[in-house]
Amino acid sequence: MTVASESTDAYLTDEIRVLVGQKSEWMRAPHPVEGSEVRRFFHATMELHAKYIDDDWAAQSRYRKRVAPIGFPVHAFRRGPLDTDPLERMDDPDFDGVSRSFRPGLPPVPIPLPGILNGGYEYELYSHVHHGEEMLMRSNYASFVEREGRSGRMVFIAIEDEFRTAEGRPLLHSVNTMILR
Amino acid sequence: MQFESVIVGQELPEVVKGPMSVGHIVRWSAAMENWHRIHFDWRYATEHDGLPDVLVNGSWKQHVLMQLLSDWVGEDGWVWRISFQYRGMNIPGDTLTAWGRVTGTEVAGAYGVVRLEIGMKDQNGIEGSPGEASVVIRRENGPAVPYPFDAACLGRATA
Repeated sequence: MTVASESTDAYLTDEIRVLVGQKSEWMRAPHPVEGSEVRRFFHATMELHAKYIDDDWAAQSRYRKRVAPIGFPVHAFRRGPLDTDPLERMDDPDFDGVSRSFRPGLPPVPIPLPGILNGGYEYELYSHVHHGEEMLMRSNYASFVEREGRSGRMVFIAIEDEFRTAEGRPLLHSVNTMILR
Repeated sequence: MQFESVIVGQELPEVVKGPMSVGHIVRWSAAMENWHRIHFDWRYATEHDGLPDVLVNGSWKQHVLMQLLSDWVGEDGWVWRISFQYRGMNIPGDTLTAWGRVTGTEVAGAYGVVRLEIGMKDQNGIEGSPGEASVVIRRENGPAVPYPFDAACLGRATA
């Protein structure tokens, strides 16, 4: 876990530095894995496979039951029924639509840079989640790094996530780099 | 597929998607409830953020890279590790090709570990998502790769 910069930090204040290493609680996805959301996922990625749709095929496979695509858990921690509407601020012309609380259960990152991009991922994969299973996720801010880019200062935020089923079966581990600019 | 048939330099069958449209981007954004304006609000993307158009989601591209690898290893193997950076922006009209090439092989316990370079190029051959991966596959006359996967089965593998 690091907080680093190539020159004088403009944005990595003490308020930001104390966020490194803070872990969320184990957060529960708002609902068990639903067949419809799995279908919309593989329709959008244009990846049709028997393991997602065919109970008989799945029963004869190593999975025993239908599964969701391996990366599905990353997107399954959605807005809960009582959570704030993310579109409430769309009348603000500078609101980009992305929360600066990057994961459920993590505090917001109060860095006043207006733009955000996804920089990439590192994954270690263990198992697929099944239809109907409940999922848990635990996250932490692994590092903040400030750099000078072509268009000005940028802050790279590394977010580490662990995903497992409610029964404790590991699903995947990821490190996602988000770039504020 | 068996480990003994894999050679360094071997290229994986490509996975091609596109041409991508605004519809493809919005379908993914809606399915994932991703409200980042650069994926659906053309005026915001171009005038506020100075982008050339709305952008194909990086979060979508990663699953195409996973598909590339899982198709190749099949149901006997396992995609163990995968990493990639989003260095290029893709817009409606782009056709995206996920590719992979074997860079190394290693026997690890009863299994074979294959290291690869991976990426996703547009129709002009411009690389936008370079990365690496390690997959685990069955050896000739060896046991099936365990599922759920536990890297402890590999002993001291360094891949």
